[in-house]
Amino acid sequence: MTGNFEGNELKDRLNLIESMIAEGRRTTESWGWTFVLWGVAYYVAIAWSAWGNSMVAWPVTMTAAGVLTGAVASRMTSSKPETTIGRAMGSIWIALGASIFVLMMSLAISGRLDTHVSVAVIGAMLGMANLTSSLILKWTMQFGCAVVWLATAVAACFVSDRQCAILFLAAIFVCQIVFGIYAMISESRRRDLQKGSKGAVHA
Amino acid sequence: MPELPELNPVIHGKLRLALLSLLVSVEEAEFTWLRAKTGSTDGNLGAQLQKLEEAGYVTVEKRFVQRKPQTLYRMTEAGRAALTEYVRALRQLLGGAIEVS
Repeated sequence: MTGNFEGNELKDRLNLIESMIAEGRRTTESWGWTFVLWGVAYYVAIAWSAWGNSMVAWPVTMTAAGVLTGAVASRMTSSKPETTIGRAMGSIWIALGASIFVLMMSLAISGRLDTHVSVAVIGAMLGMANLTSSLILKWTMQFGCAVVWLATAVAACFVSDRQCAILFLAAIFVCQIVFGIYAMISESRRRDLQKGSKGAVHA
Repeated sequence: MPELPELNPVIHGKLRLALLSLLVSVEEAEFTWLRAKTGSTDGNLGAQLQKLEEAGYVTVEKRFVQRKPQTLYRMTEAGRAALTEYVRALRQLLGGAIEVS
């Protein structure tokens, strides 16, 4: 059987295997929008709690953002392949959300929640999640976000209330809004490149 | 002159080879994702996947998600072994290097 095959045809098969394996491994999920959504949710919660002086601002906003993320994500991922990296990424952010929610609710109910503790805890947790994700994905931009969040967490322990709030708002803007938009643009460019370079595979 | 290795005819089909190469890098994949990645038609894709299923290289699971039917494909250990063997034979024929993991 092999005697009939041209060298080019065999090389073609080899190239096909390599390109399809690379295609399958490529991150297929588009999650840039979640960073923007959560960044906006943080701003809404901060504004609501500051000017509305409401105790329910954070729990309600965070729950709403969580439900919205879950609803959109379940629709998005229904036709995507399940990969180990994809599940690892999902696990990190779900674990982060659950941990922050439980801890912050407990601190709020017990009356031990203050600006410094909130920013330090949220900053450290977001720093850890971004750091883990950036190391797995080898993503320099996300590594930068991790550094910003961890620096914010450390600074929150030493600066004044007002400076702490400004630091938190700035970190949200850089690591959620700007990074989220950057991720969305990168994903869009990658999709366009894929569309342009892909041809049909026939039997 | 040493005897050249045989290439598995089930895997050698271009679309079937593309499908196994896609499935080797993911845990499971939906029919629509495989169709998008290969650019194949529904009929051709279904026929080739059936051949792979009959060979024991993939398993299929049909389920409903949000009331919509979903067909999921997974590569079996036999499929992984067959693809690895196919790549080994190709490598021997071409002297190239490729990794399947």
